[in-house]
Amino acid sequence: MSEIKIEEMSFEDAMRELEAIVTQLDSGNVELEKSIALYERGAALKTHCEAKLKAAEEKVAAITLDSDGAPKGTQAFEAE
Amino acid sequence: MGTLLFDHPGFDGHVTPPGHPERVDRLVAVREALSAPEFTGLIRREAPECTDVDLTRAHPQAYVDRLAAALPVEGWVSLDADTHLAPGSLEAARRAVGGNLAAVDAVMAGEAANAFVACRPPGHHAERGTAMGFCLFGSVSIAAKHALAVHGMARVAVVDFDVHHGNGTQDLLWDEPGTLFISSHQMPLYPGSGAPHETGAHDNVMNVPLAPMTGGAEMRRAYSDEILPALDDFAPELVLISAGFDAHLEDPLANLNWTAADFAWVTAAICDVAEAHAGGRVVSTLEGGYDLAALGASVAAHVGVLMERGA
Repeated sequence: MSEIKIEEMSFEDAMRELEAIVTQLDSGNVELEKSIALYERGAALKTHCEAKLKAAEEKVAAITLDSDGAPKGTQAFEAE
Repeated sequence: MGTLLFDHPGFDGHVTPPGHPERVDRLVAVREALSAPEFTGLIRREAPECTDVDLTRAHPQAYVDRLAAALPVEGWVSLDADTHLAPGSLEAARRAVGGNLAAVDAVMAGEAANAFVACRPPGHHAERGTAMGFCLFGSVSIAAKHALAVHGMARVAVVDFDVHHGNGTQDLLWDEPGTLFISSHQMPLYPGSGAPHETGAHDNVMNVPLAPMTGGAEMRRAYSDEILPALDDFAPELVLISAGFDAHLEDPLANLNWTAADFAWVTAAICDVAEAHAGGRVVSTLEGGYDLAALGASVAAHVGVLMERGA
């Protein structure tokens, strides 16, 4: 099991480990006793990825457009 | 007619390495639960050892011989990371099969309405030539094949509500047209098989995966909407249950949230179908369940329903 803390992982790294876990669980090459720990790490990675995606979506949604429809910044940026 | 309980001290000879979840104490907890006053009416019998003829209904003789040759004089021999042989393991596994066969024979002879086999090691992960997931021989599959071959039955159902997919039973019954194997299990989880598209060589396998963190409501819906209608359509002459209790919310090896009341519900629902088609004939065998208190309470709920229905 990886020692890297999930909350410190980038989206790409978390997705990569999640895909590896799903492949491992699907392959049947996991010990019965360890299967649950692997599933639980997978579930935590999925939650982390979803949170990262949500944050990115919120950033995109916050992009404000000028009168020509061109992006002129984000609400968060303007508020600062 | 009553409910039979099969057990034997030989099951305790299957000693697993320290810290292993499938341990002697599991059956100690089951015996403790079934020693309560409400279970005095159980007809208690000792589980006999089965023969090689019985085992080879499901496994090649070479596999049986390989396990016998591997048996240690002391300590353990590991067959995989989960599955270990102690000096007493093969006697225990032969009694697990033998208990199931004796239970089928007794129920078929009308000596009891139904039976519970309190045995170790479990069996539903053992494939034709592979011991895995704590399992050595496919006890419930051998019982199903025995019912077809010895008792001349035409339709035998196996319902497996252990939280892990019964990949061994699926392997052993895949090409057995007289059987219907239905498994509900958490997915994803060990052993990774058990998707709905795995349906057997004769459309005789049904897999119903349950999502992690779901509980009794989702289980009851799955049984009511899918599993029980399929079981009813099959019209079994005998119903075998692979009774694992590791879908319990306290179980350390899975993430389903069933309670003892859910195990009672599913037992009663399976008994309803057995009463409609099979004269109430049900033989249930212990598979998983690794939280000792939850296991004891859930077995008590399960056997309690069998006794009510078998009275």
